[in-house]
Amino acid sequence: MERRLQQLFFALSLLALALILAAAWQANTPSWKTYQRSFLQLEAQEEPNAITKAAVLATPPEIHQVLLPGLQRVDRCTTCHLGVEDPTMKNAPEPFRYHENLGPHVPAKFGCTICHGGQGLATDKDSAHGKVDFWPNPLLTKDYIRASCGRCHKEGDVPGVPELTAGHRLFETQGCRGCHKLNGVGGSIGPDLTGEGANRRAPEWLEAHFLAPNAVSAGSAMPNFHFTKDQARDLTYYMLSLTNEEMGSYFSSLRLIPSPEYGRQLFVEKNCIACHSIGGVGAKTAPDLLGVTKRHSIEWLDEQLVNPELVYPGSAMPEYDLETNARKALVAYMASATAEDAQAILSRRARAMTTEEIAIEAGKQNFSRFGCVGCHGTELQGGVANPNAQGGEVPSLLHVSDDYTKDEVIAIIRNGRVPPLDNTAGPTPPLYMPSWKNVLSDEDINRIADYLWSKQQKAKDAW
Amino acid sequence: MNLIREIWQSIVRRDPLSTDKGKSELVFLNVWLHIHPAKVKKENMKFRHTFYLGFITFFLFLILLTTGIALMVYYRPYPPQAYQDMKDLQFAVFMGTFLRNMHRWAAHGMVICVFLHMCRVFYTGSYKKPRQFNWVIGVLLLLLTLSLSFTGYLLPWDQLAYWAITVGTNIGSYAPLIGGQLRELLLGGHSVGEGALIRFYVLHVAVLPAAMILLTIVHFWRVRKDGGLSRPVWKLKGKKEELVTIGAPAVAVPMQASAASKDKTYGLMEVVSGKPIFETVTPEEEEDTVFSYPYAFVREAVVLMATVTTVMTMSLFLNAPLEELANPAKTPNPAKAPWYFLGLQELVSHSAFLGGVVAPALMVLALLAIPYLDRNPSRRPRDRKLILWLFTIFVVANLALIVIGTFFRGPGWAMVPPWVHVVGGAE
Repeated sequence: MERRLQQLFFALSLLALALILAAAWQANTPSWKTYQRSFLQLEAQEEPNAITKAAVLATPPEIHQVLLPGLQRVDRCTTCHLGVEDPTMKNAPEPFRYHENLGPHVPAKFGCTICHGGQGLATDKDSAHGKVDFWPNPLLTKDYIRASCGRCHKEGDVPGVPELTAGHRLFETQGCRGCHKLNGVGGSIGPDLTGEGANRRAPEWLEAHFLAPNAVSAGSAMPNFHFTKDQARDLTYYMLSLTNEEMGSYFSSLRLIPSPEYGRQLFVEKNCIACHSIGGVGAKTAPDLLGVTKRHSIEWLDEQLVNPELVYPGSAMPEYDLETNARKALVAYMASATAEDAQAILSRRARAMTTEEIAIEAGKQNFSRFGCVGCHGTELQGGVANPNAQGGEVPSLLHVSDDYTKDEVIAIIRNGRVPPLDNTAGPTPPLYMPSWKNVLSDEDINRIADYLWSKQQKAKDAW
Repeated sequence: MNLIREIWQSIVRRDPLSTDKGKSELVFLNVWLHIHPAKVKKENMKFRHTFYLGFITFFLFLILLTTGIALMVYYRPYPPQAYQDMKDLQFAVFMGTFLRNMHRWAAHGMVICVFLHMCRVFYTGSYKKPRQFNWVIGVLLLLLTLSLSFTGYLLPWDQLAYWAITVGTNIGSYAPLIGGQLRELLLGGHSVGEGALIRFYVLHVAVLPAAMILLTIVHFWRVRKDGGLSRPVWKLKGKKEELVTIGAPAVAVPMQASAASKDKTYGLMEVVSGKPIFETVTPEEEEDTVFSYPYAFVREAVVLMATVTTVMTMSLFLNAPLEELANPAKTPNPAKAPWYFLGLQELVSHSAFLGGVVAPALMVLALLAIPYLDRNPSRRPRDRKLILWLFTIFVVANLALIVIGTFFRGPGWAMVPPWVHVVGGAE
């Protein structure tokens, strides 16, 4: 008996060791390592040199991931999809094939799941593609993938995806909001559709539901709207694009999406109109820019903005030292710029400003830059609540000249002021005028005063 | 060579294990082993007397401690990172899945084993004098085990965790007067959220394990002091009836300190004289004793390895569940508490106050009071028919309620047998 027990203990210990080794082996042979090895072999084939070939094959396996901190996403798709950014992998077999038509949506900045769906954190095929229990959004199929564009491109037409525009219009014109809430607006008879795109609903289900609500959802209270097949598809696209995640604002906050608006802003800022014209409106020193994106490729234009002399030897255009997205934004603006717009830009610059006007303009800039507008309002209207201050709110500055001289106002800006109380026994009002003399130069303060005086509504005239 | 020997001897001071002295010293010179007696009764170590359930429970707790500490390294206790960390364990951490599986299965195993251990102790009447207080400690350890499992349930921050804890804490809030406040204190708010997660985490990794360790020490100490491992004394052959009642004999002989002699120094063991509170040892029984090394240790080691390999085997083939990210806006139907509270939830579905407050409170109080209410001194099953029947009904009723709650309750807590598939039930 004693001997038996000792043998049993020994056997069980060996079993425990074997189990640990089995677990370690299981952990050490994930499918993604196999994919990485095949990819390295694919790459090594192209290498003529034996040494580089060996070096390629010796690359250690590792998990690749794209972090999108603002969206709480981690995409590990590129751990297996190793060729998405490598044009030489155009004809490679999946999962290594190059991703064409990405445009500005580089995987390194955008990840994959925001368009494709699936489970970014996963590192095995079924889990990653979301074809497992308890993952709400599996990969979208080819038929529906373009719906994802609407997750960021919420306003206006999305180029190449007319379904989204049509679906959006249907949603707003067919009275869907009567029953369904979207972003907080709508009825509560049907389910809230905010974030519907992230629910585990197959696109096929949605489409069948729009054609005949009762067919897929027994006892559904939703009436049959007799949508056509195309309309059902449009609505499905729109539903799939609905998400709670602030994707658009996240990517624009990173300035990853070069918007034409940003381009126009740069166009004005850099005073391009001083040399260029659009559709004949503007200066004639440099080439007219109307339709320039049709005459030249995007790459050519980008190169031109980086180094004008290199593209056009002897070009008079200065180097503006623009970062990549600024250049892309400018090109994006060029694609949509019109002569009318140029006229609008030009009219604001047409007349040279007087010194007085310059001072007032500078004062206005200061007034907004240093946060005066936070309390006194962009139009000097005041009105921000300030309990127990006289009048209960921050005063309007539109009539300040009635009560104070310019010097008095300058003194108040310099030294600050606690507002007079409504009720002397009451609490101190939360807001007060801080002292600015250590922040602003006297010249800055004088300009702000100039700006204020330029805006005074003459009370006596109005009397 | 001499240095090595010197180092060895500075660590191990006992005589060689080939000698009886060495075998004794191995036990009582070692801080970890000296919870054992130097010699044990063979009869006590028989597997079918205790099924080693106490040992198994303790070993499972050791597995939980080690895997738990390893898991802490990868875990951030705030949403939604907590959930992301679960995914990392699954997809990126080396052997992370195995680690989490071991923790999960050992935890469920501990709940089961602690309950079985309690049943064994009850059926053998081992809570009787002088072991009454150790039974009370045991009941507290059962409650701690349930609390540890319950607090750990929330940490993955998936739908399963979120709603199980929501339901579980709702049951607690039915207590009169303090129920609502108790729930708020536990959750750090009115609903399960960030506050609840950090509170449950602190309870799970610090407060409750510390309490568990302290009470376990008391529990083990008492096992030694109250007469060692329990055994069915009524089965001992050729023994006098006196042996059947263990502990202090029915006719109590008060312990007396013998008069101190002036020309002798006394050790404590000499001052405390009188009849020991241990089970009576007859000469035949004395022959039955053997050294703990290796007799007891090899048995414990086998049970330890059997426990470890069982948990490992399960962990290799069965994955711990992980559902979708917790979503307060999406209530699963039905939302269920952790399985060991499903009996309670079943009772609550009939009456919130009676089922959620009165019944569990009575159950716990009854368990705590059993050794003091049961005045029958005999441990022989023949003499305890009524109470054994009552306890069996208690156990079966509990299990039946859990089975009903787990397998027979569908959407809206309606009775749905497990073999009937509910369309859309998953939504």
